[in-house]
Amino acid sequence: MSVPVNSPGNSAANDRIVFEDVSKFYGEILGVNRVNLSIPPGITSLVGPNGSGKTTLMNLMTGLVRPTRGRVEVLGYKADDPEHLFAILGYSTQFDAFPKGLTGYQFLYSYLRLSGRDAQTAEQMAWRTIERVNLVDAAKRNIAGYSKGMRQRIRLAQALAHDPKVLVLDEPLNGLDPLARSEMIALFRAAAAQGCYVIISSHILHEVDVISDQVILLSNGYVVAEGQIATVRGEIQEHPTQILIRCTRPRELAAKMLEDAHTIEVTIHKDEKGVLLKTRDADGFYLALNQLALNGNGNGIDIESIAPADDDVLSVYEYLIGNEEVVR
Amino acid sequence: MTIAITSGKARIWWAQIKAVIRLEMRKTFFAKRGLWIYLVAALPVFLFIAFAVATSGRQHQRASVARRGEKILTYQDLLAVKPGMTSEEVIAILGKPPVNFHWAENRPLGPGVTANVLRENYHYSDGQNDLFVGLLDGKVDSVNIDNGNNLGQDSIMFAGVFQFFFLRLAIFFGCLGIFMNLFRGEILDRSLHFYFLAPVRREVLMVGKFLAGLLATCTIFVASELLQTAAFLWHFSPSAREVYLYHNHGLEHAAVYVGVTILACVGYGAFFLVAGMLFRNPILPAAAILIWEAINPFLPGILKQFSVIYYLKSLCPVEIPSPPGTPPLLALLISNTDPVSAPVAVVGIVIVALIALYASSLQVRRMEINYTTE
Repeated sequence: MSVPVNSPGNSAANDRIVFEDVSKFYGEILGVNRVNLSIPPGITSLVGPNGSGKTTLMNLMTGLVRPTRGRVEVLGYKADDPEHLFAILGYSTQFDAFPKGLTGYQFLYSYLRLSGRDAQTAEQMAWRTIERVNLVDAAKRNIAGYSKGMRQRIRLAQALAHDPKVLVLDEPLNGLDPLARSEMIALFRAAAAQGCYVIISSHILHEVDVISDQVILLSNGYVVAEGQIATVRGEIQEHPTQILIRCTRPRELAAKMLEDAHTIEVTIHKDEKGVLLKTRDADGFYLALNQLALNGNGNGIDIESIAPADDDVLSVYEYLIGNEEVVR
Repeated sequence: MTIAITSGKARIWWAQIKAVIRLEMRKTFFAKRGLWIYLVAALPVFLFIAFAVATSGRQHQRASVARRGEKILTYQDLLAVKPGMTSEEVIAILGKPPVNFHWAENRPLGPGVTANVLRENYHYSDGQNDLFVGLLDGKVDSVNIDNGNNLGQDSIMFAGVFQFFFLRLAIFFGCLGIFMNLFRGEILDRSLHFYFLAPVRREVLMVGKFLAGLLATCTIFVASELLQTAAFLWHFSPSAREVYLYHNHGLEHAAVYVGVTILACVGYGAFFLVAGMLFRNPILPAAAILIWEAINPFLPGILKQFSVIYYLKSLCPVEIPSPPGTPPLLALLISNTDPVSAPVAVVGIVIVALIALYASSLQVRRMEINYTTE
């Protein structure tokens, strides 16, 4: 990665991807509206149904479209300054078209030469990236003959080729087989562990849940919620928190918990080996549960595990957006 | 320190421009959708080859006629024949005609009265030029000299093809095909984002694409221009070629034509680059620019200057005379009534191109990737 000397990217204050009151309209059609975000390092997932503004947000971040209003900065670089921005940022788009007549290797090599790298460095970096995305066998073939999964991988390779600090990946797992998906997820995690900013858009919620450090939920061009999933879940007051308790004698536990003022609903689990409770005050509930657990043996109740049942992306998504157009 | 950073930046920009040129050349040369440009560029070459083949055929015929004649004739001998001479006088000067034919013609002399008259045609040649003598009842009725190798006339023909086909149509449409597609073609292919995702200033990208287009068009059209010159000179004898090239400004003219071709590519290229960014449909700007260039002679002086053909016409080395009886409007199109000096013309084209490139640089900074609206 190369950051220009004395560039704003070196300033400690510029360690975020910032959207400040950003709106984008395509004529009269709303792309995104009044977006305010400050994205920290780690894996951040943009989640929302089709047309919610995920790709628009990514295109704004990378300067492919310009905001109608507001300001976008990536680690201090303006989005309309591609010369500096793309030195620290790699973007894997959903656009499934490539310059004509290029092989996978030529595609990456040309991209690196465009970045101003000399022939030898570009060649080395291109081959290294091709190995990272597991495309060595197909590297000398024309991209026009690639399968959907291979095209996805070469797009990811373009984003990764110059070791960027910020990775923006639009539906990066589309078209990949399960093995390739897990390889890519491992790659994103490794990047995030090294302090990179990995922005992923996806509508496959269980994958988002597995890989994300934080989420940004979008609906109809508006940011509905942002932050760590548990925090976002905690802020959704209208839906009580669900807690699954695995225990012996679940009916006795259910009866005890109903006596507690924090519990508003108790359901015996289908397998009769636990209870599902709903509460509007999770902290108060846990205190009461601790008390019960301390006295548990007296009641003959052994609590095996306590786990939140709805602080995953899927639940948060359903509470805030509904269950339209998502893959669980 | 500032100078070092600036030169470092300039080095990176130049490396990026070269990378853009390499990629664009790979796409432009031998691309299927650009084949028509090669054809348009090759058309005048084919024309001059056909002309040379036809002229060579006639040349062989002339040589054959000259060989079959009783005397070895000179051009002065051919000019000596005048109307009113008798056939004997003609034969005394030129010898017996190597090719002749005659026929009887029934001519009306008055109401209901006709007479048979003898018609004869003599064909002589000095090996380079033909003399056709028409005789009526033994007296020269018409004299027609066909100059075979007239470099003066042929260079005017060459200038006509260059100005009215090559400059105004071939280069014009070739530049349209190449420069308008530099950005527009990639928007239609949905592949422009490849460039926009690289750490390249948009202006540097624009310059790289322009230079790639310029390299492609100059290669195609300068090659065509040189081949045209070769085809044009092919049927002349080596000595005639030498006289034309080294003593009659032929080499100088060829160099000027190459220069004008390059300047035409610069001027039209810059126009079509900006047009390709501003318009989705290339037909409208192409038609507008074509009309603008065509009506240039009728425009006020200040507007004339915003045209490529205005400067190119002034640079062309051979003036094309209007044939007698040409309608005034057409004569105005042919002639260059308001020529400018060569330095002014070159600077003028460069300034017009720079203005267009500046407009392109403003436009390229504003460009967004939004293929769905295209």
